[in-house]
Amino acid sequence: MTPLIEADELSFRFGETPALRGASLAVQAGEILAVMGPSGSGKSTLLHCLAGILVPDDGTVHFAGRRIDSLPDAERSALRRGRFGFVFQFGQLVPELSAEENVALPLLLGGMSRRDAIDRARRWFGRLGLDGLERRRSGELSGGQSQRVALARGLVTEPEVLFADEPTGALDSLTGEQVMELLTASAREHGTTVVLVTHEPRVAAYADREVIVRDGRVTTLSPAAAASAS
Amino acid sequence: MIRFGLRLTLRGGREAAARLIVICAAVAIGVALLLSTLAGLNAMHTQNARFGWLETGAQGVSESHRPVPGSDPEWWLLSADEYAGTQIGRVDVAATGARSPIPPGLPRLPSAGEYYASPALAALLRTLPNAELAARYPGHLVATIGDAGLPSPDSLIVVVGRSVADLSAQPRATEITEISTTSPSGCNGPCYDIGFNARSIDLILSVVSAAILFPVLIFIGAATRLSAARRDQRFAAMRLVGATPRQIALIAAVESTLAAFIGVLLGFGLFAAFQPLIARVPFTGTRFFAHDMALSMPDVLAVALGVPIAAAVAARFALRRVIVSPLGVSRRVTPQPPSAWRVLPVVAGIAELAYFVAQGRPATTDGQIMAFLPGILITMSGLVFAGPWLTMIGSRALAVRARRPAALIAARRLSDNPQAGFRAISGLVLSLFVASVAFGIILSFDAHRGGSTSYSPAEQATIVDDLIVFADRGPTAPVRALPAGLAGTLHAIAGVRAVTPLHAGPEFGVMPATTGPPPVGAADPFSVLVECADLVGATALGSCAPGAATAAVADPSFAQLQGPSGAVWQAAPESPGSVAALPLATLVVTTDGTRHAVEQVRTLLAQRMPSRDGFAPLTIAEDRAQSADTKRSQGYERLADVVILTSLPIAGCTLAVSVVAGLNDRRRPFGLLRLSGTPLTVLRRVVALEAAVPLLVSAVVSIAVGFLTAYLFLRAQMSETLVPPGIGYYATVVAGLVASLAIIASTMPLLDRTTATETTRTD
Repeated sequence: MTPLIEADELSFRFGETPALRGASLAVQAGEILAVMGPSGSGKSTLLHCLAGILVPDDGTVHFAGRRIDSLPDAERSALRRGRFGFVFQFGQLVPELSAEENVALPLLLGGMSRRDAIDRARRWFGRLGLDGLERRRSGELSGGQSQRVALARGLVTEPEVLFADEPTGALDSLTGEQVMELLTASAREHGTTVVLVTHEPRVAAYADREVIVRDGRVTTLSPAAAASAS
Repeated sequence: MIRFGLRLTLRGGREAAARLIVICAAVAIGVALLLSTLAGLNAMHTQNARFGWLETGAQGVSESHRPVPGSDPEWWLLSADEYAGTQIGRVDVAATGARSPIPPGLPRLPSAGEYYASPALAALLRTLPNAELAARYPGHLVATIGDAGLPSPDSLIVVVGRSVADLSAQPRATEITEISTTSPSGCNGPCYDIGFNARSIDLILSVVSAAILFPVLIFIGAATRLSAARRDQRFAAMRLVGATPRQIALIAAVESTLAAFIGVLLGFGLFAAFQPLIARVPFTGTRFFAHDMALSMPDVLAVALGVPIAAAVAARFALRRVIVSPLGVSRRVTPQPPSAWRVLPVVAGIAELAYFVAQGRPATTDGQIMAFLPGILITMSGLVFAGPWLTMIGSRALAVRARRPAALIAARRLSDNPQAGFRAISGLVLSLFVASVAFGIILSFDAHRGGSTSYSPAEQATIVDDLIVFADRGPTAPVRALPAGLAGTLHAIAGVRAVTPLHAGPEFGVMPATTGPPPVGAADPFSVLVECADLVGATALGSCAPGAATAAVADPSFAQLQGPSGAVWQAAPESPGSVAALPLATLVVTTDGTRHAVEQVRTLLAQRMPSRDGFAPLTIAEDRAQSADTKRSQGYERLADVVILTSLPIAGCTLAVSVVAGLNDRRRPFGLLRLSGTPLTVLRRVVALEAAVPLLVSAVVSIAVGFLTAYLFLRAQMSETLVPPGIGYYATVVAGLVASLAIIASTMPLLDRTTATETTRTD
């Protein structure tokens, strides 16, 4: 089966420092993939290259059979806006907007009317256990609530791929597990492909498959090693 | 902890260094502007004080006439000469002894046949033909007047030495014992119309303090708050390792104070570097000496200590609104939304002005100033006070109607903290208010007077020499006839078209005994008789009816002549011979309007018919330009220009700093939005709208309130209505708004950089 995302021999340098050195990876549609690795191994850089945020120095990235690393910035932005969703570790909500407006933001950016965007955003509040928090601002939400709002924002456009970079990194373990359960459940319900960057085995355990990034290269874990890592 | 705070600030890595540099640079600009404002006010006082010696002999100064032991009296005569529309201060002096007082800037009194001139006048004397200027002053130039006797480097002043016998015979000459050191603002009674009087000084100080110092202080405040959010993250990290809130507050104070202190030092350097340039700007109508733009010790101490202390207090105050916990900074204390009562001061200011429309203005000038100035200042301060509420109303309206994400984010941010949103544009609002009031009053005033800025060729070509000096009870000291040969010599000057002596009849200047309108058929007390032959070519005066030999015409010294007169004067009963025998009231010389012709006529008249009233003969245009109304109008206009030209750049700097601070505070959410595919144009629109919405809402309100204030002032003070402003006003407003939008646009590259996908961290 043709992978939804396919990266081949990616190299990327931050100045003199190499971040990726020939990283290759394939992600199937509907798959939840955990990208693990120690700090500074290049896993976030790999996610950024896969999502079209960064353009690799060498190598190619294909999404749905289309090469995206050579697309102009505007087209890659449109791709991220329309077909991808994102969840980051913290600080992704616009502080002045209410929770529902934050969730509706990608829809508004896509040209949806405000009323429709808010209506559609509200549907996610019940699903993610956020009922009653629609009008709150990010400063009035707990870390777990903020992260669930961010998850709703990442999923509200029903993206084909959700990129999550350390989505539980700023949360305690219990809240982190709640967020991961919601993330994976929602993704499976909508058939969304998830690329999850984490350094926590407990978070990676929610994925269908795990890969390790070490020194800028991707290593696929054997099932035994994966079980051991879990 | 203080040493730790210093180390953190100075050696906290590249980002801390960059933050320190930006804050220091912004504070430096603010301090330089503050120092320039203070030095400008000092320079105005110093310049005014140097007008003091020209008040010698005036009744309002305490010196001049009191006996001074060991001093010899001196004959003194002040008059106003003119060259090409610029006034020349002329002082004729005659010492009665070796100890006669010497005016400042002179090494000694000039003897008869000598004169001292200011450097600017000396330069004119060197370059112009004698017949156009130098021949007015008897004798020769011995040296230039030193700076101590000059209000400005551009001052045109001449001190002419005369003999005692010659000068004491002049009607207006007085005997003085001391040179006045009283500034025009310190006059206690009648003084010459020189420099700024106390009322003008009060007006200037009030307006400058409110309209310039306030925006400068806002700017410095905005500068010290730069990068507050980034700093908060560091504080959270310190709390994590055990720092107490008190220690955090101390570190914040140290950081702000240090940045402010370095900024103050740089600001003093900037001020010193630009001081000569700033002195060249003619804020008072003429430029300052660079050394007049000086700072007093209290000024230096107030700025050097006040700004860092204020920065420390502001840092402490800013931290009161956030809670720095080990897990991060949360703004738990959301600012209270401004309430509608904030508009009360504006309403109170307008009500005060309206009260005087209904009740009539106070009788005295002092009373009028006391009535109107507080009303205008309250309204101006009230606008700043009401600004956050207006911003909130505007932003809420925008939020309700917002269909696009940029408008929604901008509106939400503004309604979240309208105080901060308005602070960024408060300086611009003040500038617009002052411009609207000033333009409204000045242009209406000019329109009701028939305009003052342009003069017809006839006005510029016609020289009027008053030959009758009116004392309290009517004309005195009549001139029986023109000096022999004067008319012919005047006619011989190239460009002279007519020489028209106007004669005073028996009723000239005799006011009717009754009050109220004069009875029908009564003689006009200000009409003069002319021989029709002399009227040919005098376009400003009109012409005689066919066949008339003499006519009674309006005296141009009293009539408002503004162009070629189409008046046709009926024949008068007097014969040409009897008219010629009457004393002279006025001499009118009509020229082709060229500078050479006008100045040669003036020079010849100064030689042959010395001024009887202390004023050189003026063209009608020059006379109108020097009228009290025009000078007052020009004074207001200049004050408005100073405020607008000074406050606009300050306001622009505040706007830029506030926009940059807003971008820095939202670096992460904006960066992540862009990373998630939000087009950069959307973020640009957010930034532009955040500044433009309060700017436009407040601009509309401040312009409207400005015009209302001008209207109420005009109604109460002059019983006149507001005339809509012309293109100049709109050009100023549009230029100010375009400049503001350009400033906002200039911050966009920073938005591009701070939100670049390559630099935004997602973990």
